[in-house]
Amino acid sequence: MEMIPHVAKARRRANPYLDLGSYDPEADLMVLNLGPQHPSTHGVFRLKLYLDGEIIVKVVPFVGYLHRGVEKLCEKLTMVQLIPIFDKNDYVSPMMNEQSLVMAFEALLGIEVPRRARYVRTLLAELQRIASHLLWLGAFAMDLGGALGGGSTLFMYCFRERELILDVFEDLTGCRFHYNTHMIGGNRHDVPAGWATKVHAAINAIETRLPEYETFLITNDIYIERTRGVGVVDGQLSMDLGITGPVLRAGGVDHDLRRDAPYHCYDEIEVRVATATAGDCEARAAVRMAEIRESIRLVRELIDNIPEGPLGARKPIKTPLAEKATQGHAYAAVESPRGELGIYVIGGGDNKGASPYRLKIRAPSLHVLGCLPYILPGHSVSDAVAVLGSVDPIMGEVDR
Amino acid sequence: MNPWLRGLIYAVVVTNVFLTITAWSIWFERKFSGRMQSRLGPTFYGPMGLLQPVVDGIKLIQKEFLIPINADRLLFVIAPPLTVVLALGTAAVVPFGADIIAADLDIGVLYLLALGSLTIIPVWMSGWSSNNKYAMLGAMRAVAQGVSYEIPLVLASLVPVILAGSMSLSDIVRFQIKHGWFAFWPPGPGFFAFLFFLPASLAEANRIPFDIPEAESELIAGVSTEYTGMGFGLLYLAEYLHTLVISAVASVLFFGGWDGPFAPGLHWMVLKTLGLFAGIFWVRWSLVRFRSDQLMSICWRYLVPGGLILVMSAGLWVHFHRGGG
Amino acid sequence: MFYFTDSLRSLAASLRNVFRRPTTVEFPDVRRPRPERFRASFALLHDEAGDELCVGCKACERICPSEIITVELVKKDSPVTGKKRAYASDFVLDSNACIYCELCVQVCPTDAIVMVKTAEEPKFNRQGLVLTMERLYENEKLRPLSWATATLLSDMQSPESKSATIEPKSATAVAESG
Repeated sequence: MEMIPHVAKARRRANPYLDLGSYDPEADLMVLNLGPQHPSTHGVFRLKLYLDGEIIVKVVPFVGYLHRGVEKLCEKLTMVQLIPIFDKNDYVSPMMNEQSLVMAFEALLGIEVPRRARYVRTLLAELQRIASHLLWLGAFAMDLGGALGGGSTLFMYCFRERELILDVFEDLTGCRFHYNTHMIGGNRHDVPAGWATKVHAAINAIETRLPEYETFLITNDIYIERTRGVGVVDGQLSMDLGITGPVLRAGGVDHDLRRDAPYHCYDEIEVRVATATAGDCEARAAVRMAEIRESIRLVRELIDNIPEGPLGARKPIKTPLAEKATQGHAYAAVESPRGELGIYVIGGGDNKGASPYRLKIRAPSLHVLGCLPYILPGHSVSDAVAVLGSVDPIMGEVDR
Repeated sequence: MNPWLRGLIYAVVVTNVFLTITAWSIWFERKFSGRMQSRLGPTFYGPMGLLQPVVDGIKLIQKEFLIPINADRLLFVIAPPLTVVLALGTAAVVPFGADIIAADLDIGVLYLLALGSLTIIPVWMSGWSSNNKYAMLGAMRAVAQGVSYEIPLVLASLVPVILAGSMSLSDIVRFQIKHGWFAFWPPGPGFFAFLFFLPASLAEANRIPFDIPEAESELIAGVSTEYTGMGFGLLYLAEYLHTLVISAVASVLFFGGWDGPFAPGLHWMVLKTLGLFAGIFWVRWSLVRFRSDQLMSICWRYLVPGGLILVMSAGLWVHFHRGGG
Repeated sequence: MFYFTDSLRSLAASLRNVFRRPTTVEFPDVRRPRPERFRASFALLHDEAGDELCVGCKACERICPSEIITVELVKKDSPVTGKKRAYASDFVLDSNACIYCELCVQVCPTDAIVMVKTAEEPKFNRQGLVLTMERLYENEKLRPLSWATATLLSDMQSPESKSATIEPKSATAVAESG
């Protein structure tokens, strides 16, 4: 479809700093708040759209509706107490939050984690990635198709499959969500008997159902029309804005922390990184579907060979002042389903060093939201919703 | 019988039957969609949740009908009942049996299409008068979509008219009883006319995949964003009513109305209508929606030229098979 | 422009699911069996002789990230052994704010506090979910206990443990009373 002239003009002008006073005086711009309460803004997120009819001319995102002061809380609680609190940052993939936090603390304290714990952490991270991407798929379908309609059917299926993984986590840790299964120096819960069988059953069930989901969305012509060429984030824009994760890889940049800066046991296994070149919504979705399949393959490879050995490098926690760090600083990052989730910690805070002095969370979704003013102008309101769905922001980690 | 009395009886009966079927279609949709989504639908009120529509109706009636401060009060208040009235009005010419028809008009099809195009106006009224940008966006989209999809709807409905030689719906059914259902014979114009009629009428009724006027993921509830209580109930009901009427009309125009392999009568009509109705729900809960410009392009690029070709081919068929007329 | 054929595939996929059994579990008439380690509420335990295990050491109060536990210490004679020892005179756990992190279970030196597998029933005010000492001791008998105690968790996590997976033996559990 060739461009309508004012659409083409809006796309050429895609400038987040657009001075509206200098815009074409004949155009009558309407301000629409894709406001904090909206069925499809993935949490409390306000997107102020300046519309010319249905074409977006300028976009101003507002964040901060879910700010809970987590980084301030880090100055008061000790390192041991912080781990269960951090589950709630990226509340969709809690394993990643916990893992990045304990990795930062372990780097700060200079602790070497035993191999069994590292191996189990890798396994849990990959399982969590599958669960998080399944949730993304359901939410994306809801954005495209509606809460009352074809999207919600796929949403229910994805959640049904996700429950299988959450049941597996429930067997291991006792909680379906927000597990607190990591501790500084290792893991807190060991693999129960018969867990491998359950994981295999869950993974097999998910793998058989994936083609069915693809008929609903990925290979469906209606979906392809909605997402091809929409919201193109090319590699250069991603690198300028600090975007990582599937959004970066869909733009053509081959960068994945699991392969390029390996942690846990990722240096022992081969992670095949999925990339695409188009950078539009379809490419991002394709990258995520490929990541689901890759994680399934990795889980299958890992689950049967858990090594023997102790689970922790430090004595089990008995007081909140168990770990103290009076000086030093460390940064540790994991590849969460949304990108590079990093924690930078400076030791030497209250409680004789048991609390960090300052802890900064590098949330991938925050950087991803920064690309919206660049890519949305020129698209219509429906496209804005599709783009938000495909970049998968989680407001818990954006606002912390 | 006194024609006034006959009209009154038919009006009461048709209204009540249609509204009751519509109310229970809400139950059916929730159960059917629940099964498609691997869950149970309503199970609490009544056996298998059958009293759910009653409870929903009571809930909606007892809620406050809020009129926003800067809304256009007159339009805001009359839009929901007007939608229901127009949707019910189209049911007046649908033949349910050999002589069971409220008003056997000679211009049945024309009346149907006219009232169908009128239904856009209350939708637009409700969106405009709400003084809400989401509702206004929904209303504008509804007008654009409704007016554009009129044309394929008219063209697709013309095909049975040309083939049967009359605009009266009961004549169309009688023709199909003698010569075979239009959806299957004549092969070509009839079948494709049904395939064009279905998306066009889904677009008129704002059903997925053409439901951008009330797209909840983009516009909170589209035109019915500001409506509460029974106003919302009536708009909601009118959508289902319009869908039911479309299924009835489609089964009359393309599937032979009250005809059946044995014992023709009202029951076949009911079966076909409800079958198509379930099919429309099936479509709703399986497909994602189109974007508004894609919707327009489908209409103007594929359905309109296709419809014109269909009408011409129907005319040619009639000319060559029955020697003109 | 293959809308039609693609739509038929989605329609077939959703119709296939109509004929599968729904996954819904009609809670609260039907309850799913919970795994051994499930964490839902709390209980305070007695030992085999019937004496309260809690010594009022406030380790759980100090570790709790949400600061919901309040413990008061008192020294008195034990009704079972007759010797003077430390008790908790009051133990209040506000489960409104609990994040179910299991840290209080982990740090207890006497294995006194454990989690239980069924949750508290919903109440109409917040006060109803504040677990007093009486309710916590009641939960020991009322609700099935979860597997994890402080000793078991410490054994699992200690650097000296050999590797083999630790079987979750079910703790003194009564029949699930729902």
